[in-house]
Amino acid sequence: MRHCNGMRALLLGGAVALGLGGVAEAQTRIPVGHLMDNSGPTSDVGVPYGQGVADALAWVNRTRGGVAGRQLNVSGFDYGYQAPRAIAQYQAWVQRERVVAIQGWGTVDTEALITFVTRDRIPYISGSYSAALTDPTGRAPRADKAAPFNFFYGPSYSDALRAMIQWAAEDWKAKGRPGRPKYVHMGANHPYPNSPKAAGEALAAELGFDVLPAVQFTLAPGDFTAQCLTLRNSGANYAYLGNTAGSNISVLRACQTAGVNVQFLGNVWGMDENAMKAAGAAANGVVFPLRTAVSWGGDAPGMANARAISQGGATAQAEYRPVHYLAGICSAMLMVEAMETAATGGQVTGDRIREGFYARQRWVPRGFEGVCKPSTFTVEDHRGQMAISLYRAVVSGDTTQGSVAELMRNGTMKLEPVTEITLERRQDWLGW
Amino acid sequence: MAGISLTPCGDFRESYRADTTIFPTRLSRAFAIAAVGLACLAPLTGDRYMLSLLIQSGYLGIAALGLNVLVGFTGQISIGHAAFFGVGAFSSAFLVEHGVPVFFAIPLAGIMTTAVGMVFGLPAARLKGLYLAIATLAAQFIIEDFFARARWFTGGVAGRVTEPFSVFGFRFDTNETYFYVVLAYVVLMFVSAANLMRTRDGRALIAVRDHYLSAEMMGINLTYYRTLSFGISSFYAGIGGALYAHYLLFVSVEAFNILFSIQFLAMIIIGGLGSVMGSLMGAVFMTMLPEIVQWLADGLAGSPIDRALGLGSAVSYLREMTIGAAIVLFLIFEPDGLARRWRLIKAYWKLYPFSH
Repeated sequence: MRHCNGMRALLLGGAVALGLGGVAEAQTRIPVGHLMDNSGPTSDVGVPYGQGVADALAWVNRTRGGVAGRQLNVSGFDYGYQAPRAIAQYQAWVQRERVVAIQGWGTVDTEALITFVTRDRIPYISGSYSAALTDPTGRAPRADKAAPFNFFYGPSYSDALRAMIQWAAEDWKAKGRPGRPKYVHMGANHPYPNSPKAAGEALAAELGFDVLPAVQFTLAPGDFTAQCLTLRNSGANYAYLGNTAGSNISVLRACQTAGVNVQFLGNVWGMDENAMKAAGAAANGVVFPLRTAVSWGGDAPGMANARAISQGGATAQAEYRPVHYLAGICSAMLMVEAMETAATGGQVTGDRIREGFYARQRWVPRGFEGVCKPSTFTVEDHRGQMAISLYRAVVSGDTTQGSVAELMRNGTMKLEPVTEITLERRQDWLGW
Repeated sequence: MAGISLTPCGDFRESYRADTTIFPTRLSRAFAIAAVGLACLAPLTGDRYMLSLLIQSGYLGIAALGLNVLVGFTGQISIGHAAFFGVGAFSSAFLVEHGVPVFFAIPLAGIMTTAVGMVFGLPAARLKGLYLAIATLAAQFIIEDFFARARWFTGGVAGRVTEPFSVFGFRFDTNETYFYVVLAYVVLMFVSAANLMRTRDGRALIAVRDHYLSAEMMGINLTYYRTLSFGISSFYAGIGGALYAHYLLFVSVEAFNILFSIQFLAMIIIGGLGSVMGSLMGAVFMTMLPEIVQWLADGLAGSPIDRALGLGSAVSYLREMTIGAAIVLFLIFEPDGLARRWRLIKAYWKLYPFSH
């Protein structure tokens, strides 16, 4: 009998030890969610951005031993830009893996998740830069709701467009053209292109533009000749392209064919080196904001680490990385550094990571100096960046021959700095 | 259909009552009750992932049952079922937004969807076969476009966040609790469908399917029953959609596309046309299939097979492809669906070892 009891105690002890071991094992890794669009309508830019994030987090695990000695357990999910799938995955992450932070993507899903991440207190670093994510208190005059756990790396769509419209107004004056310039918003009827629409049209009207009715084109590439003819007949001078690169390429090419003479202004996701190659001469002259201080060929102290991330990544290639890859790295590194702050003297919880985002002013992630631009987040204001660097896509020859890397090296394609505009941190611009 | 031919010899029915019973034997009734009882214990396992799959199977099963009433029992066709599912989801979210408690919003959403379904079912009075299919396809696109534009109703393209199910202040907002809500609805909806098929109206529907001309000669009003069938089908879709809305807590137009409609058709083909239980089996199958493929794909990733074929990131597309392959294989090898296979298995054990 005694023997039997001893046996039972031994078994029980073993089971408990196993259970505890499991818990300890789970605690050593920090669960992080990573939502990407690798197959949906925004996959043209979603793929390089997602690779940037994934490679950077893998690099942190490899070279820095994770965050405060704990490896990151990154759970990636391709949701094909379908918001309901993103929400379902979010619930799986929260309930099953108990993630402490999430790297997200699109505007619809991020905006829909505001309520959820606020309730679950999980910092959500999105690929969406919708201004609706920038008001943490919900007190801004035009804000819909508070988004205290939403962050992103870069200027909001609205602020980027405001900067471009300010530039356009200067450009119109500088060129000395007569009359009032005409501005038109273009994009799909979708929350992402719609996000800065009101802000852009309001500022354009304020600065003396004639605001034309918006022109719609789908997020998936197609034949947009009709839209270009509308553009030509309306006599627009400045047109904002609110979609991502893939469909913008279609518009640029169709408009070139239709002989439209418009200065296009691109969204941050609306133009990159791949799009320049695909659109060829049609992309020449498009003005768009660059989120990083340099592009891939550029030189900066932080580029060594960026190259190391690219070479050691899951998609290990020493290839040319478009601007979105670098933005992905910066976005991931902001989160990592906020986690490190959270880890000093406490658990890595959602609340503490959020505090980590507020710990620094003009914040550039360590090791990425000269690559990532400084961001400042406060409890009252999540507009991380107010300084917007505008660049012009310059295509001076045939882009069908050679890779993007070669074309950038020999100068057939160039990203030419236009100006840097620092917007005033106006309270009435917060949240829209 | 197939069930009658499989009745073992010696099993005579002597009254209409015995002929129309849902459960042929006491044991089968006991099994059904035990199955529901067993399902009630599922949340105790604490496997949230499994529960989420069961919840999905539940609300999809309800909607698939609706489509089965229309396609399997009445012989009509609809390739706009996802749109009606969407109407249910948005209606419920809309009602909740305007102060109706979720508890009442779900059945009300079912009724609203019925109204919409009857309107779009009107062409069924005149059209048959391929023409009806195209008419319902039009319904799919009209409703989808409506979702994207009717800001007041759906929140436009941005979608609508909604509330969890709650009764007397108790919120069913986790998988463990919401599972019971879905289970209750599944039992309710499936028992009603089984009962519907025992009534005059249910039999009229089947008569319309089997031979519409004979049915009309027996005094069945074709227009009435065809439209009714669309109404019932939409009611089920609406309830399914509403359950989906309060599970996901977010409704967006993108979910209710034509592919989703095709998936519903796939569910009832795989489950078994004209079978109540088959609808649930089909829904379970369609929910589990992607997960199983995902599991296989994860197992395959990095293996020699993966390297040899250069699958890489394409492994994830296997998931989409198997759904298509499953439909084709079922149509060829098991056109009567899982329900028939299930009956064959039951008959095998019942007659073992003297099957003939």
